[in-house]
Amino acid sequence: MGAIQIKGVTKRYKNFTALDDVSVSFEFGKIYGLLGRNGAGKTTLINIISNRIFADRGEILIDGIPAKENMAVHDKLFCMSETDLYNRDLKVSEHFKWTKRFYSEFDLDRALALSEKYDLDVNRRFKALSKGYQSIFKLIIALSVPVPYVIFDEPVLGLDANHRELFYSLLLKEFEEGERTFIIATHLIEEISGIIEEVVLIDKGKILLEDRVESLMEKGYSISGSKAEVESYCAGKNVIGSEELGGLKIAYILGEKDALPKDSSLQISAIDLQKLFVKLTGKGALQ
Amino acid sequence: MNKLKSAITYGCLTKIRPLLIFYLVEYGLFALVTAVVVLCTGNFMPNTSGAEMSSAVCVSILGALSFREDFKVFLQNGFTRAYIFLSTFCSFLLMSAAMALIDTLLGNVLHHFINYITIFGTVYGYGNLFFNWLLLTFMYVMFCSILYLSSLVINKVGKTTSLLIGVGIAGVILLIAALFRFVFSPELVGMIGRFVTNAFGFMNDGTVELAFPIFTFLSVGVVFGLGSYALIRYTELK
Repeated sequence: MGAIQIKGVTKRYKNFTALDDVSVSFEFGKIYGLLGRNGAGKTTLINIISNRIFADRGEILIDGIPAKENMAVHDKLFCMSETDLYNRDLKVSEHFKWTKRFYSEFDLDRALALSEKYDLDVNRRFKALSKGYQSIFKLIIALSVPVPYVIFDEPVLGLDANHRELFYSLLLKEFEEGERTFIIATHLIEEISGIIEEVVLIDKGKILLEDRVESLMEKGYSISGSKAEVESYCAGKNVIGSEELGGLKIAYILGEKDALPKDSSLQISAIDLQKLFVKLTGKGALQ
Repeated sequence: MNKLKSAITYGCLTKIRPLLIFYLVEYGLFALVTAVVVLCTGNFMPNTSGAEMSSAVCVSILGALSFREDFKVFLQNGFTRAYIFLSTFCSFLLMSAAMALIDTLLGNVLHHFINYITIFGTVYGYGNLFFNWLLLTFMYVMFCSILYLSSLVINKVGKTTSLLIGVGIAGVILLIAALFRFVFSPELVGMIGRFVTNAFGFMNDGTVELAFPIFTFLSVGVVFGLGSYALIRYTELK
């Protein structure tokens, strides 16, 4: 089965390590959420995968082919960046034509149809588009390049709620129509939690967590009650965060649920992906 | 191969608009100056010149912009640095050849009618259109290469270090001038002078070898081109 394999990738800048011996795999045919706080290393990782910057150590394989400076992966991967890497003086329609030349499989009709759906004026120059419409333009291109692996770096930046919803529905439709891998790097965890299957959580240049959303939701829970009871329950468990209010305590746990003690006043609740993310990255590292 | 072709096409076609504007402005100004000279002096042979140098400046700017603008576009579209380098230099060659053709043809036609002076004509005489075109082509490619490498260096080391390098280069030029003036023996200066005049095609026996200046421009272009390749291989998106 195909995959993007990241093996022991390290990237250092002058004063800090952006990625520290990162190893992770993005398998073919899944939708991934690449989550992390600002400066966690998401964009650095994406830029290394898409050959825009180089790793100091380690390698990236796409379907077993080394991705560094290799035209053989050209038709396997497309990356929509948060930064603008397009010619600002060209019209949207001209960009579509050039993309068609660079990627022979680029679906020009689909791009034009999506432009109509998003009310994107294809006769406007890139620089004349608002920030939101520049994002829409980049999304349309990414959705119309039928390569097996598509990476979206902050795809809904500057988009209003309607356009964000439209993007998510188009992404799911695209996924249903043809099996591909989508990797979405974003801060808007709540919004994508419903569409991603797998989560890769990155923090301070290290992979903090790599799991299926479903299994993560099963493993992550909160326990609340009196401080003494909560602390007793949490003993030996992977507590990723806690809050206290007077004599009450709520603890966030990642791991198997134990049955509550008899006559206990403790309460177990599910926690959402965003809360889990906040607690995990707030804590810094898993035990 | 198709990918390379598409990158070369992009490199050339996206420069057509600025080139057209450049030529319209350049020859518009030239027509204006000529008209003013003719009206003021009644001289129909105003001895105007300079199109090639303007083209050299224009092509240098395009060389610099090729990195600033096209590098990120090509990275966005999944090209490797080797492909980016190859397509860029092919575009330089094609653009330079086209500009050299325009300058050669217009320069010689204008010379015929209003005594317009071309650089090639002044140095090597008029009449050899092919060598005129070839020499201009490689001269423009050389300027593109120099500015392309300069852009890569500026991108790599940053503005402050680039300024320091610029000051260093100016210092080296002054040092070389001083060496020629005060240190080198007249024999050595004469030898270097002969080498330079030979490099531009003026042989010791008084004959002119038109292939030599072309080879000189080509060599300088290749040196800067190789420097660019050495640098672009490690250039990252900023």
